[in-house]
Formats: sequence, C-alpha cells, structure tokens
Amino acid sequence: MKERQLSPTHPWFSRFWAVAGAVSIRTKILGIVLGLVLVLGITVTVQVRSVLTRTMDMQLEEQGISVARDLAARATDLILINNLYALHQLLRDTQANNGNVRYAFVVSPQGQVLAHTFGDGFPAGLLDANTVTSDAHHHSITLNTDEGQVWDTAVPIFEGRAGIARIGLSEAGLRRTVDGITGQLLLTTVLVSAIGITAATLLTWVLTRPVLDLVRATQAVGRRDFTARVPRWANDEIGELADAFNSMTAALAKADLERAEREQLRAQYVSGVIAAQEDERKRIARELHDSTSQSLSSLLLGLRAMSDACEQADIRHRADELRMVAADTLEEVHTLALQLRPSMLDDLGLPAALERHVADCQRLHPLHIDLAIKGLNDQRLPPTVETALYRIVQEALTNVMRHAQAQTASIFIERHSHAVRAIIEDDGHGFDLAQVSSNDGHLGLYGIRERAELLGGRLTIESEPGHGTSLFIEIPLSSKEENHA
Amino acid sequence: MRAFLLVWTALWISGCAAAPTAPVIRLADLRPLSAKATGEVLPLRVSVAAVISPKGTAEGYQPLLDYLAAKLDRPVELVQRRTYAETNDLVEQGFVDLAFVCTSAYVAGHEKFGMELLAAPQVSGISVYYSVLIVPASSTAASMADLRGKVFAFTDPMSYTGRVYPTYLVQQLGSTPDQFFVRTFYTYNHDDAVRAVAQGLADGAAVDSLVLDFALARDPALAKQVHVIHRSSAFGIPPVVVNPNTRPQLKATLQSLLLNMADDPMGKQALQALGFERFVPTDDSAYNSVRELVKAVGPLSP
Repeated sequence: MKERQLSPTHPWFSRFWAVAGAVSIRTKILGIVLGLVLVLGITVTVQVRSVLTRTMDMQLEEQGISVARDLAARATDLILINNLYALHQLLRDTQANNGNVRYAFVVSPQGQVLAHTFGDGFPAGLLDANTVTSDAHHHSITLNTDEGQVWDTAVPIFEGRAGIARIGLSEAGLRRTVDGITGQLLLTTVLVSAIGITAATLLTWVLTRPVLDLVRATQAVGRRDFTARVPRWANDEIGELADAFNSMTAALAKADLERAEREQLRAQYVSGVIAAQEDERKRIARELHDSTSQSLSSLLLGLRAMSDACEQADIRHRADELRMVAADTLEEVHTLALQLRPSMLDDLGLPAALERHVADCQRLHPLHIDLAIKGLNDQRLPPTVETALYRIVQEALTNVMRHAQAQTASIFIERHSHAVRAIIEDDGHGFDLAQVSSNDGHLGLYGIRERAELLGGRLTIESEPGHGTSLFIEIPLSSKEENHA
Repeated sequence: MRAFLLVWTALWISGCAAAPTAPVIRLADLRPLSAKATGEVLPLRVSVAAVISPKGTAEGYQPLLDYLAAKLDRPVELVQRRTYAETNDLVEQGFVDLAFVCTSAYVAGHEKFGMELLAAPQVSGISVYYSVLIVPASSTAASMADLRGKVFAFTDPMSYTGRVYPTYLVQQLGSTPDQFFVRTFYTYNHDDAVRAVAQGLADGAAVDSLVLDFALARDPALAKQVHVIHRSSAFGIPPVVVNPNTRPQLKATLQSLLLNMADDPMGKQALQALGFERFVPTDDSAYNSVRELVKAVGPLSP
C-alpha cells in the first residue's frame, strides 16, 4: 500500500537518503538552495529560449513575406521596362536596409535570374529550392544552408507575369539574439546562485551555530560537566531548545549533586559499617585472645594440677579428658580469633597475614595456591587498604573454594607508584558474566567491588564458563597514604 | 517527483525540436548562371511607349499581344522602356517588330530613320486625340496663365501632349517653362501625371486625352480629384509603327491583323481593353499639324 509513495521505506528514498542524509546541514541547505535556483534558472532559460525562438521565427517569416512583397511591388515596373540596373540597385537596397536579408533575387517568368545580390555567380540549387504559383500570396520554406537556416520566401511579381521575387532571411542574427538572451539568463542564474550560496551560508550559520553550541554542551554534559550553558541566539524554536537544554542541564547538575551527596553518605555509611565491623571483630578477637584464652589456659593448668594431685585413677582420667576438651576449645578460640581479625595483619602487615591465611586455606582445602607479593616488603600500605586487600583475597579464596571446583589458584599483588594492583585467578569452571548481576546471590563479588570502590578503586572480572575466572583489582594510593609507614 | 521529471523532460524536448532535413545549399559556393536556351521559335517583339505605367501597359496590351500570338501562332513578347526615345531606339535598331509610339515620337522617328506608319487606332469614329490641361479639383486656375509660378508635371521629354504642347502654351504666354513654372518634373507616363495632379504633387499637367479618359473610366474617383481647364485642337493619334526595313510580308501580315481586329471576337476584346474601336490605315500627312507645332516650339532639351 505504501509502496506507491516515497515513504521512508521506499528503496529510492533509502538510496537518496543514504547520500543526502550523510552530508552536513550546510551541504543540505546549500544543495536545496542551489538545486532550486538551478532548476528554476535552467527551466526558465529553456522555456524562454523555446518561446523566443518560436516567436522570432514567426517574426522572421512575416518579415520575409513583407520584404519580398514590397520588393515585388517595386520591381514590377523595373522588370517591365527592363531596367536591370535599377532592379539590381533595388535588390541591393533591400538587402542593405533589412538586416536579416541574406540574399534577394528576381527570376523572370522564363525561369532566368534577372538580378541578384550574390555578385559573381549564383549558389547552385538555390534557384530551384523554392517557387510560388502566380495566384499565391507567397510561399515560404526553410532552407538548410552552410550558413545555417534561411527563410526563403517567394512572391509572384505582377501576378507572375513579371516573374518571381525571392528573399532569403538568415536566422543567424536571430540565433545570435536568442543565444545572447540565453547567455544573459544563464549569467543571471549563476549570479542568483552566488547570492543563494551566500544566503544559504548565512542561513546555515544562523541555524547551525546554536546547534553546534548544543552539540558542544551536550558533549560536556556527557563528560559530566554540568556547568555548560547554551546561549539563546534567537527567540525561535532553537532558542526554546536552548532554554530547554539549559534547564535540563541545571536539573541534571542538581540531580548529580544530590546523587553525589547520597553516594558520599552511602560510602560513609558503608565504610563506617565496615570499620565498625572490623573494630568489633578486633574487639571480639582480642577478648577471645585475652580473656577467654587466658581463662581456658588457667582451666588447663588447673585440670593438669588436679590430675597430677589426684590419686584416684578414674578422676584423673576424667580430668585428662576435660583437659583435652579445654585444649581443643582453646585451639578453636584461637582459630576463631584469627579468622575474625588476624593480629598478624596489624602486627606484621599484609604479606605475613596473607601467607598465614593461604597456609590455613591449604590446610583445610585441597587447593594449590600460589601467592606472590611485590613491592610491599619495605613499606606498609595504609591500614584501610591492607584490610580491604586482605578481606578481598579472603572473600575471593572463599568463593574459589566454595564454587569454582578449581585445582589451582594464584594471587598476585604488586605495588605501583600510585596504586596497588591485585590479580586473583583460578582454573575452575568459571561463569557467564552476562548472567551474573551483583544482586544475584553473588554477594561475595559485590563485597569485593564495594570494598575496592570505597577506596576509589575498581574491580574488573574476566570469566567464561570452562575457562576459569580472573579478578583484577586496582586501588589508588594517594601521596599521603603512599608514605604511610 | 516523477511528474516534475516528466514536465522537465517535456520542456527540454520542446526547447530543442529537431529541424527537418533537407539538402544543404552552399550560399558561398557561387557558380556562373547558365543562360537557359531560348525557345527555337523567335518571338514577335512588340514595344509600347510608356504612355501609361509599365504595369498598366502590360495589363492593357496583354489581350492584344495574345491576339497577335494566336493569329501568328508565334509567341509575342512585350518590350517596355522608360522613355519614348528608348522605344524609338528599339524600333530604329530593329530590336522590335512592332511599336505603339507617341505622336511626336513618330514625327521624330520618321524624320530620323524613316519610321513607318502601319495603322492608327480609332476612337469615337475618328483617329485624333487632344492634349488636355488638368489641375487639382481644388485649384482655381482656369487657364495656363493661372499656373504661373506653380509646379508643373511633364510626362515624357518627347511626349507631344505631355511636353511639346504645354511648352507651346507657355511660349504663347511669352515665357519658357523654366521661367514660367517654379518647378517642373517628369513622370515618364501619363498615368502618373494624372495621379501627381490628383494628389496635389503638381499644380498642373498636360496629358493625352485618351489616357485621361481611359484612366477616369477605370477609376471614377479620380474624376473628382482632377479638373480639365483646357483642351487642344485635334492632333493625329499616336500610331502603330514599324522599322522601315521590316520584311514587307511581315509588315502586310501585321497590318492586316490590326485592321481586321474589330471583326474578330478575340481582337474585339483586345480593342475594348485598350479603349479603341478599331485600327484604321493612316497617312503621314495626318501628323503635319503636329510637325508644325513641334517646329514652332523649337528643339527641346532631351
């Protein structure tokens, strides 16, 4: 149904638009203006030329008839009294006084040329090219000559009794006039085109300048620069667009500010939660270590003393059993305290704590883990970074052990001048990143990302089903933190 | 879009309509004109002195020429010249076989080379004519004397009625045309002299009475524009002449044809076209009065 029209789905239109749509607005406007001017100019030129040629052809024919009839009337007596000299003069005068007359001659009733304007000789074939009956008014034909088209008019003289007068009117002058007018029209078209180009350029400037401003401002907004404002050039649609854009930018700026504030609040909250969690863990660990462990140690010592002092075998046996339970509990409390907050992290730093954690993991799980740490021997990282990295590795390894079914895992941590980078890889079954979102039960990955981003860092995950998983973590180091001892 | 393209194409095509093809004639390629072979039969050449305009002559004399051609079974060609003198030369040189000349031209030709009379036309039963003096209808002039200081139109330098006789009238008034008239000019035929007066180009003219009557009969409106103020005595009518060396047999044939015209239907029509009743034999003595007047006037500038 739509195929008959140039709808946007029409192949012609698509082809046209593929070309026309790809050029700039400047070219489009120039194309429209130039196209209109040229089409109009050329159409008018062709039409005027056609009408002018027709009109002038008709005028030429009429002129030929009137000149020939005048010549015939004036030649009558001269032919009758055989005044050939005067007849010749008459022909020459006729030619001299009528600009378009190419030739004139008089043919006797016997078909002989009595007088002509050619000088020595007479063009072959001209005499027989046209004739007229004695009762006709005139007879005109167009002759093709080596000098272009010639209107040849034959008029009987004295009803044919004195012969025939022939006049040839050249179209050369007419063609020159038509060509001259055509040239002037084309020149006018070119001049109007030039004016059109100027006007179109001006129009384009008027139209595209605010648009280009809008483009620049939009790009700035894209870069999260909400200070960009577009000047309102004119009180038109584009002006309204500029206003709308400006108010949108202002709204975006406000929203961005609010979002940043919320983000900051959230970050503060999260870091507060994390810090509190760490503090709490540290306190519980210390409590376990200082109080519970001491109590258990005292209990152990008491039970040993009781066992040594008691004579009764069954009581001594029971005391030894209780002492073993107490020793296991002490061991568990140690492990728990270590997991909650390894004191090594605070006391000996990240490398030692990680080595200890890796060793613990390998003891509990059949996983081979490579650990490599570079650039952290001389200087310790800021405590927040150390804690974050420790927790990230801890979380990552937990994930590997729980889900990956991997044989080996490797941890590589390297300190750079402005950042510390960690790469944690495994050869497990991996997963499809597209199907995993942060809320989709992968709280572990979410926690890693959260910890990295709280410190201004970022997490990059590479994983494919069957090809293992790689986590890239980068945390920037400010110059102040960098020098932290 | 498509409609626009169609219109555009139509305009374009209409602007460049193809020219019909025809053999090209080279206007700059000039060849000598080939004189066409004249017919084997030599035409009878007839000259008519320019009493009336060449066109009028050609129209008026065509039936007579047709009559002669039919009777002689031979083409007849009309040869015209501007002046009487040129016509006389044609007769003298034998270029024409037959000529209709003016009275004074005959007198001059007869004297010069023995121009021979063949016949004379007869109008209203007599073979005479007059010189009539005409003025515009609005003119108050009543005689030649009233035309002093006016513009006068002569017909031909050799015309008897158109120049010799009015000169005679002026001489009778004791003057010459150069002194008497402020200006004179030649019309070279009587028709134009009548028209010159009718249109006020001349204040007076003397013309052949036959021509005037014929012109007034053909164009009645002319009668209201000119006015006859004087008529001469009768003179010998302009005759039909031949060269003295014309073969006697041809001369006799031509004379016979002319004299018998009135008895032939075709000839009668030809005579009517000229305003003649018939052709009659004439004698040189009929022109004696003319000779005397010419002698009295004396030699005129050609």
